[in-house]
Amino acid sequence: MQKTFETLVATLTGMANQVAIIANVIGTLIVLILVLIVNFDVVARGVFNAPFLGAVEIVQFSMVMIVFMQLPDVARVNRLTRSDGFLVVLSKRYPNLAAGVRHVIDCVSAVFMCLIAIAIWPEFHDMWQSNDYFGVPGVFTAPWWPIKLVIFLSACLCTVIFILKVLSPAVQPELIKAPEHEDVK
Amino acid sequence: TETIKTVVIDGYPARALWVKEFTGFFIPEVDKRLAATGNYKMEWQESYGGSIVKPKGVLEGIKFGLGDIGIVTTIFHSSKLPSQALAAVTPFVTTDARAVAKAIDEIAREFPAMQNEFAKQNQVYLATGVVLDTYQVFSSKEVASPSDLKGSKIAGAGMNLRYLEGLEDAAGVRGGLTDFYSMLQTGLVDQALLWPEAAKTFKIAEVAPYMLQADLGAVNSKTVTANADYWKKLPDEVKTVLKDVSILYRDHLSGLAMERAQASREAYVAAGGKIVEVGEEDRKAWAMAMPNVAAEWASTLNKNGEAGDDMLRAYLDKLKAAGYSGVRDWASGN
Amino acid sequence: MSPIDIGLISVVAIVALIYLGVYIPIALGVVSFVSIWLMRDNYDLAINLIKIAVSDSVMEYTFATVPLFTFMGLIVSKAGLGHDVYEVMSSGFRRVKGGIGMATVGANAVFAAVTGSSIASASVFSKVSVPQMMHYGYNPRFAVGVVAGSSVLGMIIPPSAMLIIYSFVAEQSVGDMFLAGVVPGLLLAAAYICAIWFMGRFTPNFVGGRPSTDYEMLPWRDILSKLGPTAGLIAVVLGGIYTGWLTPVEAGATGALVALGIAFVRRSMTLRTFWEALLETGHITAAILFLITAASIYSRMLGLAGLPNELGEMLRSSEASFFQIMFIYVLLMLFLGTLLDTSSIILIVVPLFLPLIEPMGLSLVWFGIVTVVGAEIGLLTPPLGISCFVIKATLNDDRIQLKDVFLGALPFAGVMLFIQILLIAFPSLSLAILN
Ligand code: NA
Ligand code: NA
Repeated sequence: MQKTFETLVATLTGMANQVAIIANVIGTLIVLILVLIVNFDVVARGVFNAPFLGAVEIVQFSMVMIVFMQLPDVARVNRLTRSDGFLVVLSKRYPNLAAGVRHVIDCVSAVFMCLIAIAIWPEFHDMWQSNDYFGVPGVFTAPWWPIKLVIFLSACLCTVIFILKVLSPAVQPELIKAPEHEDVK
Repeated sequence: TETIKTVVIDGYPARALWVKEFTGFFIPEVDKRLAATGNYKMEWQESYGGSIVKPKGVLEGIKFGLGDIGIVTTIFHSSKLPSQALAAVTPFVTTDARAVAKAIDEIAREFPAMQNEFAKQNQVYLATGVVLDTYQVFSSKEVASPSDLKGSKIAGAGMNLRYLEGLEDAAGVRGGLTDFYSMLQTGLVDQALLWPEAAKTFKIAEVAPYMLQADLGAVNSKTVTANADYWKKLPDEVKTVLKDVSILYRDHLSGLAMERAQASREAYVAAGGKIVEVGEEDRKAWAMAMPNVAAEWASTLNKNGEAGDDMLRAYLDKLKAAGYSGVRDWASGN
Repeated sequence: MSPIDIGLISVVAIVALIYLGVYIPIALGVVSFVSIWLMRDNYDLAINLIKIAVSDSVMEYTFATVPLFTFMGLIVSKAGLGHDVYEVMSSGFRRVKGGIGMATVGANAVFAAVTGSSIASASVFSKVSVPQMMHYGYNPRFAVGVVAGSSVLGMIIPPSAMLIIYSFVAEQSVGDMFLAGVVPGLLLAAAYICAIWFMGRFTPNFVGGRPSTDYEMLPWRDILSKLGPTAGLIAVVLGGIYTGWLTPVEAGATGALVALGIAFVRRSMTLRTFWEALLETGHITAAILFLITAASIYSRMLGLAGLPNELGEMLRSSEASFFQIMFIYVLLMLFLGTLLDTSSIILIVVPLFLPLIEPMGLSLVWFGIVTVVGAEIGLLTPPLGISCFVIKATLNDDRIQLKDVFLGALPFAGVMLFIQILLIAFPSLSLAILN
């Protein structure tokens, strides 16, 4: 019984991680698109006298995409900003207690991400129905609903990832996830 | 005496004209009137400048009850508050902020469209605020008439970018108000659409010493609203006072805007700026070359089940009655 | 409960939760949610606060500077620009006692102008200059201390993620904040170099090292080819912002593209490292902006509680002097710096103090510089000192303990505090370049 439960959690974790990784790849590509769009606007305006009037909306749109597409993956790899010092010290003396604290923290995190999902869902629903947009009509407009949808799905996925963290064995804490920035030479 | 707690919100800082007058005019006036009978007393909490909401967030803030009364900047919400664009889609009619404020406010009371839109956002319309007299074209190089703007890059924001469609080969460049100075200075743009008070605040005369007086027109951009749940619970006496003071605030604010506009124009000239008059014929040519944005607006409203055409007609008639008829009849459908 | 009570209790709760190891954005969000719920006895209002803050905060145009400058910084790190700048600098300072240390500071100051984070600086220079200093017999503590101390320049000299975060909280222009950071950053670098000179003179044992004989003056052609790309990038980014040709967002995007071009020409980038830089950028952006979002829930909660109004009122009645307020402010930041990271300190402290600072007629740009420098001191202080952690982790050398890094960094934290006092006393140091 215990065994099946563990396998089940491991399988589900694997699936959730896969989804997070795919979302992460999409978010990563949007970073690249952001670089290209802004440069396109700079060149179009400076060289060809034809600024791209939707640049602001596209940038805003892509910021939401980058942040919320990446967030589940950030949660997955334990990169959400935190101060680990106390837990690291605690886990040396009382490994079980530290693991327990970690599970409680992940539990609280799951609840908070779930609150975000609950808060955003009606927004998505409204915007989907009313087709509200932002921007200036006749100049450039973008619909609201995809933004709300991405936030909603992201919050749901984060909730699932945190729940699965609670159900899985606690990972060893580290002081810092490095090396992050490598100088190649 | 019953005390009523009221949270007032705006995302703009307390020094902004309309916020300052809310604190210095609206609130004392309400307090004074309530004190006359002594039945009720307001306990105000004024939260401005991003402490609860950002400028774009006032509409949602009031909708969701983060504030009880708020000053919504309507130009950010073309999609939720389409009817608020009425003055913006009828350029070249009048530069009298008082007339526009009064006409828009009356339209809001005579037609259901504006109130319906706010009702959908869970709030009650109280008053219209007009804080600028007119957009003008501020130019870094010497210009004599709108035809000199051919092929220029012109900085603008929001609906006024569409006015530029009436100029041959002119390219609109979007920018925030605070960027206009450096955009003009570096030559990123040749001209910028601004109102005189903003030109004074941002020392535009230093970089754009020619003001082409195109008189594009006064635009309503602020609406005072109250959260619908808060409003429902208010006693009738308080409701009446708030409504009456709203109308006073409307006239007070647009009057101040006109005074400031005049002073700003003088400051611009004193700082070395030159005002270039534009003839009626040139203004008319510009207006006629524009797409009929007013007709687009009316048909959007018609589609929403509101009386778009009638509102447009009624608005222009009100301005005509006040002595202002524009160079183009936006309601004639062409 | 009065707004002040709610503010105080919530700060204590947040600090306690963070200390326990709760993810910082989660701690901010949960405490704010519970505070509103209890304060107004209204669950819907608490949910609505989350609803507004979550979609509102990320939708800010200027926030695109975060991924753009992060990406640019990662690309230049991977392209080896830090290494090149360091080589030029060390040939310049070669004959002075503590010369490699000074070279590290100088190289950091230049590299800071093309990267937005102190973490990048710390990891690059712990790899290029610590081994050099150890080779020449420098005291290991001094070696890591110099790298830790000068890494903070990355966040003070623009571009800087922290200046961006501050400009969002205080509603200041990112471009203004960037320009204001130039002089204080250079001043700090100069102060470090002076301090190293004094240490070499008066505490030679702490510095250690022997004069290097095998360093040769680099030929001018090499200097140009090594500094050229960095100088070009600085010209594009800071020049673009300073002249007004580019908004900070556009400067970030253009800089990223130029950096990619440099990496491509130098053949120092594979498809793999390129993808890693993109991934890393996404992670950092998401982590920072989610933190900002949570902090915005928190500051709006304080606003709803009426804390800013109460604090302003208190200030008017108490007649606290400017120096009293700044004293408390710096003390609070030093305290928080022992356990929070820089961005969290800014996001927690600034909303509390803005209502005090603004009515005093003080420049919010200046206040931002003071805030960022103050919060950055925390990068060097135990128990949580991110720069020191990064150095320890990057070096991965058993001879150097975390304790050594902290002790080595201590004198540099002291110099920072001294500069901080100068910046407070002379606002024109930060503001002169703007006018
Ligand atoms: Na930097
Ligand atoms: Na610290």
